[in-house]
Amino acid sequence: MTDLRVERSRGQHFDWVFAGIVTTLALMGLVNLVSAAASGVEGGSDIVSRQVTVLGLAALVIALVLVIDYRHYDRFAYVIYAGSVGLLLLTLAIAEETRGARAWLFSGRFQPSEFAKIGMVIALAHYLGRHPPSTIRRLRDLFLPGLIVAIPVGLIVAQKDLGVAVLTLLIGLTLLPLVNVPLRVWLAIGLVGLAGLAGLWQFGLKDYQQERILGFLDPSRDPLSSGYQQMQSRIAVGSGGLFGTGWQQGTQTQLRFLPTQHTDFAFSVLAEEWGFLGAALVLALYAAMLLWALMIARNSKDTFGAALAIGLVGTLLWPAAINVAMVLGLAPVIGVPLPLFSYGGSALLSAAIAIGLLLNISMRRYVF
Amino acid sequence: MNDPLGHSRLSNTSDGPGQLRLWPIAVVVVLIFSLFVGRLFQLQILEGDVLASRSQANSVRTVRIEAQRGTIVDREGRTIAASRPAFGVDVIPYEVRNPWRTYSVLGAILARDPREIAATVGQPRGRRRFQAVALEKDLARVEHAKIATHRYAMPGVELHRKPLRDYVYGSLAAQLLGTIGEVGPKELKSEAFADYRQGETVGKTGIEAANEEHLRGRAGGVNLIVDVGGREIDEIDRVEPIPGGRLVLSLDLDLQQAAEAAFRSDDPETPDRMGALVALDPRNGDVLALVSEPAYDANIFAGGIDQAAWRALNQDEWRPLRNRAIAGVYPPGSTYKAIVAAAGLAEGVIDETTVVNCPGYFRLGRRVYRCWKRGGHGPVDLEAALRGSCDVFFYELGKTLGVETLARYAKLFGLGRTTGIGIRGEASGLVPTPEWKLRTRGEKWIDGETISLSIGQGANLLTPIQLAVAYAAIANGGTVVEPRLVLRRETWDGRVVEETAPRIRAEHILAKPILDMVVRGLTSVVMDPKGTGRRARVPGITVAGKSGTTQVVSLDLVEDLEPEEVPIRYRDHALFVAFAPVESPEIVVAAIAEHSGGGGGSVAAPMVQKVLARYFEKTESRVPSQIAAVVHLEGAHR
Repeated sequence: MTDLRVERSRGQHFDWVFAGIVTTLALMGLVNLVSAAASGVEGGSDIVSRQVTVLGLAALVIALVLVIDYRHYDRFAYVIYAGSVGLLLLTLAIAEETRGARAWLFSGRFQPSEFAKIGMVIALAHYLGRHPPSTIRRLRDLFLPGLIVAIPVGLIVAQKDLGVAVLTLLIGLTLLPLVNVPLRVWLAIGLVGLAGLAGLWQFGLKDYQQERILGFLDPSRDPLSSGYQQMQSRIAVGSGGLFGTGWQQGTQTQLRFLPTQHTDFAFSVLAEEWGFLGAALVLALYAAMLLWALMIARNSKDTFGAALAIGLVGTLLWPAAINVAMVLGLAPVIGVPLPLFSYGGSALLSAAIAIGLLLNISMRRYVF
Repeated sequence: MNDPLGHSRLSNTSDGPGQLRLWPIAVVVVLIFSLFVGRLFQLQILEGDVLASRSQANSVRTVRIEAQRGTIVDREGRTIAASRPAFGVDVIPYEVRNPWRTYSVLGAILARDPREIAATVGQPRGRRRFQAVALEKDLARVEHAKIATHRYAMPGVELHRKPLRDYVYGSLAAQLLGTIGEVGPKELKSEAFADYRQGETVGKTGIEAANEEHLRGRAGGVNLIVDVGGREIDEIDRVEPIPGGRLVLSLDLDLQQAAEAAFRSDDPETPDRMGALVALDPRNGDVLALVSEPAYDANIFAGGIDQAAWRALNQDEWRPLRNRAIAGVYPPGSTYKAIVAAAGLAEGVIDETTVVNCPGYFRLGRRVYRCWKRGGHGPVDLEAALRGSCDVFFYELGKTLGVETLARYAKLFGLGRTTGIGIRGEASGLVPTPEWKLRTRGEKWIDGETISLSIGQGANLLTPIQLAVAYAAIANGGTVVEPRLVLRRETWDGRVVEETAPRIRAEHILAKPILDMVVRGLTSVVMDPKGTGRRARVPGITVAGKSGTTQVVSLDLVEDLEPEEVPIRYRDHALFVAFAPVESPEIVVAAIAEHSGGGGGSVAAPMVQKVLARYFEKTESRVPSQIAAVVHLEGAHR
């Protein structure tokens, strides 16, 4: 019964700044999507109404994640982790191959790897809560957290969804700077990582994936596919200028020179139509959101909360970084959506869980 | 206490969250986003003008350059299917400025009604506005020149080069070569066609489909800068297409032509024969000729077949699209007797001296089975039974062997399963057994059915290619070969990619002496003055063979009619299968003339003869010294 009173008082601790930044980004994404869809992408109006539905759903998810004290997630960390790994296994077992990957359930509507990221972060945070990062000094102390990361990453590699596997690995690595491991250990990890990458290139990558990376290094290599996408994206971004061509006025966008402009290339639509000012504003909002989330980590009352917040920063930072780098021609074409901004159900809902958890940690920072 | 998990605090040692090392992550975030803003500045402010000019006044258009489909040649390198350059004209609805004038000019050039063109193009919305609508796929030279001249007055009208398939001999081996067409929406969704684009040509049936990957080649492309009117301003980059590979078939063009000619009637009154013919090399399974009649001109598929023509072909009563040689199933009739004879010899039920008296009929219980020769053959041994195709001899033999044994030997010769020729749609035929009958019809086997079976009637079904493979095994001393259609795969400029090795299904299926006895009988079928296959003789060559005639309907349906009154559908099939030279067989020919109304010996044997004659005419015209050398070598061996 006391809980009710407490819940009311917690309203005062609600992190309005963070929620405000997130809402602004999501709404800007929607406005952008309306323009991208207006060019006559297949099922254009459908796309907008579906995105509105998913946004509503995301708000609901945030609220749900929010009401449960985040320390309950600590208690059930390994259960959540096991559940998300189980979903990955299930996907591997029953999903049909689409475009070379076996990564979706329910005929392509649900991508368990999106949720596995969150499960992995919760498990890592749980481990760090029990084993404070400052006490982790030796490489062997990293074995268990390493395993927590390796299992989902390995399963996603097995699904042949390489972009997401790399992404998940990066998210896991986000927590590494916390621990107290000496420099030479870092070097060792780096070497192993490089060897792993070389092996992956040789045996793990499909021809078209190698093509994409080579196409990035030398865009004229295959102007018909990935090199072409990137060239068109660069032209779109460049033609935005300082102020942009205006909403629904982008030539590249409206003539559909841009591929997958409502999903992976949503940011280039924004850059063309809103120019440098609009695009830089959105980037600034992302940076502000992430830095604010790091503040939440710092102010958290326990190590679990702090580590969880940092891991969640990783789940938002890396997809955003990879996506924008790709749009700006700084990274190869990897099908990773921009969190909160791109069209897409699973990605948006997993971002919502992350946001909900961050708000949750922020809200309960004073309460003991 | 409102904190159910307060104890977690205790587990934290000195390590308060405040002491966590967060700055590296913050630095990474700041660095990444600064880098992005810098890159934005570079692209949008510094290079913005250049890129904007590309985007606004000019747009980049990617034009795909289709690869030429690989050529298909016969075993001697003569081209059967080529690819020729062709020009087509498309309309991109979004770019058309003055539809009525554009369509009028186009209509005048193409001799088409402008209203019809307008209807073809339509007024698509959304994304489809930018998609080219094909008006004509194979323009005449003059049409192309005229459109090229007027092109700039007609924005939205696009000329494109797209190579078209050219089947040099029209209907030659049409069903075997197969059909091509645009890749369908269903295929596009499937994994196998992941890298295909709408409108791309793909092999749909036959050799074209079986070798799609090799024949397809790789499309190239060019990125063009075009102005608002669609005029080319500059070429940014270009990737040349790689033509599809060359396919060397085992077919011999001369033999194929001779075999197809064998189905044509000289007399304008009588229609051409329908049916199938297969010529195989028994030593390695090479398919030298493969005919299915009636055929069609394969070139109607070259530029994409129109609906009406397709429907007409597809609904034709005599199914010209169907490859009868591999997908048509027929009762083998008396050609089956060679297999029954081999079974009898191998089981030790008969030998060369076994004599059966043929009174012209055979009695089993209360039923009487007639021999085709009403008066009977009298006492016959195996050789005489094969030569005169005596039914009673084989009724007797089949009854002793039983249905299971017959089925076992039929399967030994490769019947009842596909031969592995590697063309989609091959039929496996049927070797009936009591178990099969119980499973499919729920009825028990009747002994009388075994009697019908032993002369190749009843539920027995095989394809012409199976018949050829079975007789190849008799001819080559007991090896069941897989028919080989492709000898070599080469790149478009003639480098060998892959040699296809002959493939063997089974070896030594029966002892050589047993097969020799069967061959002796089959030889007398052709070479003996009383044999039923006399008309398959080729001067100077020893030929062995067997005729067959199979009823399509029960005798009582047609018994009272004069031969020419019998409806075509009810007329008998005529079969003949032969191999030569008997001493060391090089070629097996199996032919079936559907509903010919004649017997195998009178109708099908002369067809087989024409192919054999052509074959030996060719081998004899080879440089004699070469043959002499071979003979000399062989002599030296002994």
